[in-house]
Amino acid sequence: MSKASVIYDKFDRHSHAQGLKGHATHYCPGCGHGLAHKFLAEAIDELGVQDRTVAISPVGCSVFLYYYFDVGNSQAAHGRASVVALGHKFANPDSVVISYQGDGDLASIGLAETIATAQLGAPITVIFINNAIYGMTGGQMAPTTLMGQTATTCPTGRSQFNGQPMKMAEIIAGLDGPIYVERVALFDAKQRVKAKKAIRKALRNQVEGRGYSFIEVLAECPTHLKMSPEETESWVKDFMEPVFPLGVKKDVTVEPWFHRNPPSFEGGKILQLAGASYEHPVRHCEGFPRHLAPSDISLKLAGSGGDGAQTAAMLIARSGINEGFDATHIPSYGPESRGGTSYADVHVAEEEVLNPGSPDPQILIAFNAPSLAKFGPTVRKGGTVIYDCSVVSDAPLLDPSIKVFPVPFTGIATDLGKAVVKNIVALGALQAATGIFPKETFLDAIRVALKDKCALIPLNEEAFAWGIKSVEALRP
Amino acid sequence: MALKERPKPFLLPEYCKGCGRCIDACAKGCITAGHQINPLTGLVPVELDLTSCNACGLCMDACPEPYGLRPAHEGPIPKFELEDPAKLYGVKPSDAPEPQDVPSVVLPLPRTEPLVIKGTYASAIGAILAGCRHVYGYPITPSTEGAELMAKFLPKLDGTFLQAVSEVAAVNMMYGTAGAGLPTMTFTSSPGFSLMLEGVSYMIGSELPGVFVDVMRGGPGLGNIAPEQSDIKLACHGLGHGNTQALVLAPSTPQEMLDLTILAFELSFKYRNPVVILSDGYLGQMTGKVQLPETMLKPGVPKWAVYGDALHRKNLISSIFLTETDLEAHNVHLNAKYEAMKVEVRSESFRCEDADVILIACNTPARTAKGAVQELRHQGIKAGLFRPITLWPFPIEALKAALQGAERLVVVEASAGQLENEVRLALSKAGVRDYPELESVRRMGGILPQQDEILAQVLGKKEVLA
Repeated sequence: MSKASVIYDKFDRHSHAQGLKGHATHYCPGCGHGLAHKFLAEAIDELGVQDRTVAISPVGCSVFLYYYFDVGNSQAAHGRASVVALGHKFANPDSVVISYQGDGDLASIGLAETIATAQLGAPITVIFINNAIYGMTGGQMAPTTLMGQTATTCPTGRSQFNGQPMKMAEIIAGLDGPIYVERVALFDAKQRVKAKKAIRKALRNQVEGRGYSFIEVLAECPTHLKMSPEETESWVKDFMEPVFPLGVKKDVTVEPWFHRNPPSFEGGKILQLAGASYEHPVRHCEGFPRHLAPSDISLKLAGSGGDGAQTAAMLIARSGINEGFDATHIPSYGPESRGGTSYADVHVAEEEVLNPGSPDPQILIAFNAPSLAKFGPTVRKGGTVIYDCSVVSDAPLLDPSIKVFPVPFTGIATDLGKAVVKNIVALGALQAATGIFPKETFLDAIRVALKDKCALIPLNEEAFAWGIKSVEALRP
Repeated sequence: MALKERPKPFLLPEYCKGCGRCIDACAKGCITAGHQINPLTGLVPVELDLTSCNACGLCMDACPEPYGLRPAHEGPIPKFELEDPAKLYGVKPSDAPEPQDVPSVVLPLPRTEPLVIKGTYASAIGAILAGCRHVYGYPITPSTEGAELMAKFLPKLDGTFLQAVSEVAAVNMMYGTAGAGLPTMTFTSSPGFSLMLEGVSYMIGSELPGVFVDVMRGGPGLGNIAPEQSDIKLACHGLGHGNTQALVLAPSTPQEMLDLTILAFELSFKYRNPVVILSDGYLGQMTGKVQLPETMLKPGVPKWAVYGDALHRKNLISSIFLTETDLEAHNVHLNAKYEAMKVEVRSESFRCEDADVILIACNTPARTAKGAVQELRHQGIKAGLFRPITLWPFPIEALKAALQGAERLVVVEASAGQLENEVRLALSKAGVRDYPELESVRRMGGILPQQDEILAQVLGKKEVLA
């Protein structure tokens, strides 16, 4: 068999091709990698995919795969070859990506990546060289080292305290993602024919866009098993094969499915997704609401998850920006926002919001008693507190300079038939109590926010109007 | 039926390692284990006696060496001396073409009204406008919304969002896509960024572009999810193993989250190096006004990429340099690149021209510090703010200019002096010895410095000014 054309004519990357290195591999006599490389190179040749192939070199003895293969080459960190392969495959779905990995790489340090990539099932080809030992680092225990087998890190032989060997082909075949899993060997002519065939099939599955294929190759490492090449072949046959039985572990027929369109670069589509508007919002304000603050108004909205405090906060910020001011909204986030307290700090500034937090707000909207109790005392003198008197029976005593507006947010919203609009009732109350922006400013922001749910607009408008009415009713 | 003529094997002993796989493969017993050490290799090649050879070819199938046992008709009778196979078989160099750039295209974007969006969303939209269609990530508060938006938008743009099994997997997916020459990014937060650092070192070593948006949170360990400037040290001086550096950008508004993300992609391709955006928990979550740019990018494929096509077949993405002199030369090259990055320094000096007191702050604390400057000015104190936008390289020349005439320097930060250390290091490297003693306003654990704390620090020492 002549050298596959996928193998470089000269190994320029092998020590700058000095002397024999230009045409000899770096593998030891009797190593299984050379044959696995050869079968892979022949498969790439036969399928005519040399230009499209990206070979991922792992860490381990096959770290220098790129010395030999005249294809696109990418060298990965230890254990990460399969996910590097995914990065290549998704970047160019037409590429043919091969993740070639040893046992330390695939079955130990990269186990999470290996399993997750297999289960993802995207069409890549994984060639797994299992020689039951760490080669490059010098004969340490591999995840596939046999029970009783000695290695430098289990000098008296692998025992139960070192765990059992990982049967990767069986593990991978047990997943739903892969379509083809086979374990092959190299120790005689018959096995080599099967190995070659399996590698070709694994590659073809990818070229046809059918799915993820995994070939485990039982390979020889005479150097670290401390045997002659011939003895190692027998050892693989007599000792490895009973633990790692050869054969097809999974082979399902799947129609080609990995079709991906080229990414879109349509500006209009991106702007639409981002919710960008071409229309200049109508301004209703005469100027900055200086009756509340000279240049920066600080608000806090507080309630429990589901009260709609964040949405209301967002609508206030949006209203401010639509009026040409700067505005910010910071939500509380994290564990406490899942059903616990939920509060929002909002600022509206004439020029630029400088302090986006509201530790001492001028305006507080409280949706429940704990929020009112916690934040009521932080409200600045002369400020405004609006709270849901449907759920708060006893308001705490606040500074007499603070204007307090008890408004039944929940009661009104329930009467309207939808408790979720209580935050819009609160916005109506805010408008009437403070005059921060004109009514139309809020209504415009509400309509834009509901542009995909037009049917809800009248209900929200009604809720907003009731919020205003409730505050007006409190005034003498 | 005419029999196809099959070649017998021949072997250059220099390329035989004597593994003997061919011995078993030959049913005719033509091949035997050798007895003589080859002087060129120190190995013992097999010996061939082809008298009974029927040219079955199984020995050649069994040979693992590409230039080992080969069909005899490919070349003349071998001479048993070291000869270049190119001379024996004729030269057939790789037919891979010289790689070329597929250029990027700048496309116009219609003018729209400002968006009202949170910082992580602004960054995600910035990435999309910078041409990024491949995002990999692992959910971590307070950065998750960026990934969520990408998961929603990218499929509609025929892009890819993959939720990786871990941050380790995410950064290596980025390595793959970046290796293919395309823009890629991730959203993460402090503990997640720690986990990505191995991959960041590999990306720097392999000279791959990529954007990391680190929405910093409180540490060490699990810490909490509130804002802290906890990763300044990590991003500026600890990007994994080796001589690594990356441009570090520190936005302070949602608008800058968008602008600096777009810039990060540009710089990351310009220098073939990752770029880190250090945001903070507040900024990631903060909603504000964001104006979109008037252009967007459709990326090409750079000539160094391994895209998986004929044009780029010749390329290799790798950080291995086995020979010491090669690796030293690579490090010299990388360090020259880091030096060249110094032209990218950016900063904002706010009312520093006549300032007696200069506050130094970045991210959200810089906003608070700006508020403090205005309040101090209101009270008649000449205060100014120096805000580094690139934390690495540090904008030392701009800082030196801002310092002219300053009597006090106050570093305002949400960390235990990580920003202060950058300031000290930059001043020291620039040979600036004569500067006022550094004062600090520091909070940690997820609490940001407040304006009144800054005022207390400055006003508490007001008498020094007089």
